[in-house]
Amino acid sequence: MSAQPIQSGPYAGWVPVAPPAPGAIISARALSKWYGEVIGLNSFELDVLPGITGLVGPNGSGKSTLFKLVSGLIRPSVGTVTVLGQDPWANPPLMARIGLCPDYDNLPGEQTGRALLRFVGGLRGMTGPKLAARIEEVARIVNMAPHMDRRMGGYSKGMRQRMKIAASMLHEPELLLLDEPLSGTDPLGRRELIDLVHALHKEHGHNVVVSSHVLHEIERLTSKVAVVYKGRAVATGDIHEIRDLIDRHPHNIIVESDRLEELARRFVGMPTVVSVQYGEGRRSLVVQVSKPDEFFNAMPSIVGELGADMHKMQSLDDDLESVFRYLVR
Amino acid sequence: MLPLRDQLNGLLTILMYTFRKVILSRRIVITLLIAAFVAVVALYVGGQDVERLKDGTNLLDSLILFFFMPVLAMIYGSSLLRDEMDDRSITQVVTSPMDRLFIYTGYYLGLVVSVSALMLIVLTAGFLSFFGRAGIDGDAMGIYGSMAGLMVIGSIVYSALFMAVSVILDRPIYFGLFYAFIWEAFIGSLPGKIGTLAVKHYVRSIGAGWIHYGEISEFPASSMGDSAWVLLILTVILFVFGAYMFREKEFA
Repeated sequence: MSAQPIQSGPYAGWVPVAPPAPGAIISARALSKWYGEVIGLNSFELDVLPGITGLVGPNGSGKSTLFKLVSGLIRPSVGTVTVLGQDPWANPPLMARIGLCPDYDNLPGEQTGRALLRFVGGLRGMTGPKLAARIEEVARIVNMAPHMDRRMGGYSKGMRQRMKIAASMLHEPELLLLDEPLSGTDPLGRRELIDLVHALHKEHGHNVVVSSHVLHEIERLTSKVAVVYKGRAVATGDIHEIRDLIDRHPHNIIVESDRLEELARRFVGMPTVVSVQYGEGRRSLVVQVSKPDEFFNAMPSIVGELGADMHKMQSLDDDLESVFRYLVR
Repeated sequence: MLPLRDQLNGLLTILMYTFRKVILSRRIVITLLIAAFVAVVALYVGGQDVERLKDGTNLLDSLILFFFMPVLAMIYGSSLLRDEMDDRSITQVVTSPMDRLFIYTGYYLGLVVSVSALMLIVLTAGFLSFFGRAGIDGDAMGIYGSMAGLMVIGSIVYSALFMAVSVILDRPIYFGLFYAFIWEAFIGSLPGKIGTLAVKHYVRSIGAGWIHYGEISEFPASSMGDSAWVLLILTVILFVFGAYMFREKEFA
C-alpha cells in the first residue's frame, strides 16, 4: 500500500502520496492525529472497499480516532482522509451519506426511542409522515419496534446499541460506521447484532465499517479486516490468516453471571477450554480458551439451558497484544 | 448541504429540543425555587406601607432584573452546549448534514426562548405577589410589560455571552460565576464609567426610557438608542465569535 520513494530528480528520496485505491470508499494516506502529546493515529494508511470491513485492534489502538476523522468530528494533524471521494472535515453534504454509531453511550436516558429518532430525522431534513414511516421501518429492522415509546434510560445495553444503530441508519446513508457495536452485549444480543449488520449490507445495501477489539467477533461479520495497533494499520486482508495467528495464543474471556459455579462446571467439560478460574472476589470467571469462536458459538445454548443471567462476557485485550506485537515486528 | 428549507427545519428541531430539554430538566427546580423565593419576598413587601408603583418597580428591578437575570442565564447558558459536549450527545447533531452555523443558531435561539420563558415565570411570580396585594392597574401592567421586555433583551445578550464562553472553556461555570456575581453584581454597581462595562448598565438604560417609576427611571444612563446599539453590537460579536469557534471545534 505504501508508495516507493522517488529514485531520481529533485524529489529523489521523497515518498509520493499514493492515490486512493480504485473504488475505495475510505482512503487514508499518511494520516496522523495527535491529542496533545498522545498519538491517536500515526502515519495510518488504509483503503476500504465497498461491503463490510472490520477494524480490529486493542482498546486505544486508534480505531475510534479513525471513525472520528472519517465522520468529520475531528480533523487530521497530518495527512489526508477521503470518504466517498471527499474530505470529511467541515463537509455537511457528505454527512448526509454517512451514519456514525459511536462506541460511547450518547443516548439521553430521559428521551424515548421514538423521540430520539424524530430529533435525528429533523436534523437530517426529514419531516412528517415520511419520517414517521421511516422510523417505523428502522425500528423493525433493528428489532426495537415494541420499545420505541419507552424511555431509553430503561433500555438494556443491547437495546441501546440497536437504538444507536437505528439513529445512524435513519437517513439511509451509503456508509455506516459502527464503532464497537458488540461491546458489552450478552451472547444473544451479540448474535442479533451480528445478524443485523449482515442484513444492513445484504438487504439494505449499506457499506459497513465495523470495529471491535475481539477478532472472532469481526470474523463472524466479515472476512475483510484491517488490524490496527498503536495508531497504525499493521495488517489488512483476509481474517482467516490473522485468526490462525490468534488461535495459537490462549484467549482470556471474563464472564460475570448469577450462575458462576454451574457455568464453570460446563466450561471445564468443553474441549476448547484450557482453564477456568475465579476472578477477584469470586464475582467472575476468567476462562482461557484455545478456540474462542467455538466457545462463543456454544455460549447462547449453555446460557439458555442453565437459565443464567449474564452480566458481562468480554474478551480481555491482553491475549491479542502478543499477536499484534507479532504483526508489527 | 441540505437545502435552506431543511436547514431551517433542522434549526427549528434543535430549538424545540433545547426548549423542551431546559423546561423538562431537573434544573427547572432552581427556577421554581427562585420564583417561590421572589414571590415570598414580594408578598411580604407588598403588605408593607409602600409606594405601590415606585417600590414595586424597585423590587422587580433589584431582585429580578439586577440579580436573577444574569444568574439564571449563566446557569443555563454555560451548561447547555457544554453538557452535550461532555456527555457527547452532541455527536448526533454535529454529524448531521446541517451547517454548524445553523446548529449553533438553533441552540442559541432555543436558549434565548428558554431563558426568557424562565425569567417570565420568575417575573410573573414576583409581579403577582406584590401587585396582587398592592393593586394591579394599567400602570402596573405597563411596568410588567416593560420588565418583561427587558428580560427578553437580557436573555438575548447574556445567552450570546454564556454560550460563546461554553464553547471555548471546558469549565464555563467558573467564568459564569465570576461574571454573574462579581462583574455584573459588583463592577456593574460601581459609579462612574466603569459601570458601563456591565451588560446590565445598558439593559437598565433602556429600562430608564421605558419605565417611569422607581430608581430605574432615574438611572444615570447612557441614552436608550446608544444602549440598544451597544447591546446589539455586543450580541452580534459574541454570537459570531461563538459560532465561529463552534464551527472550528473538534469533538474528540
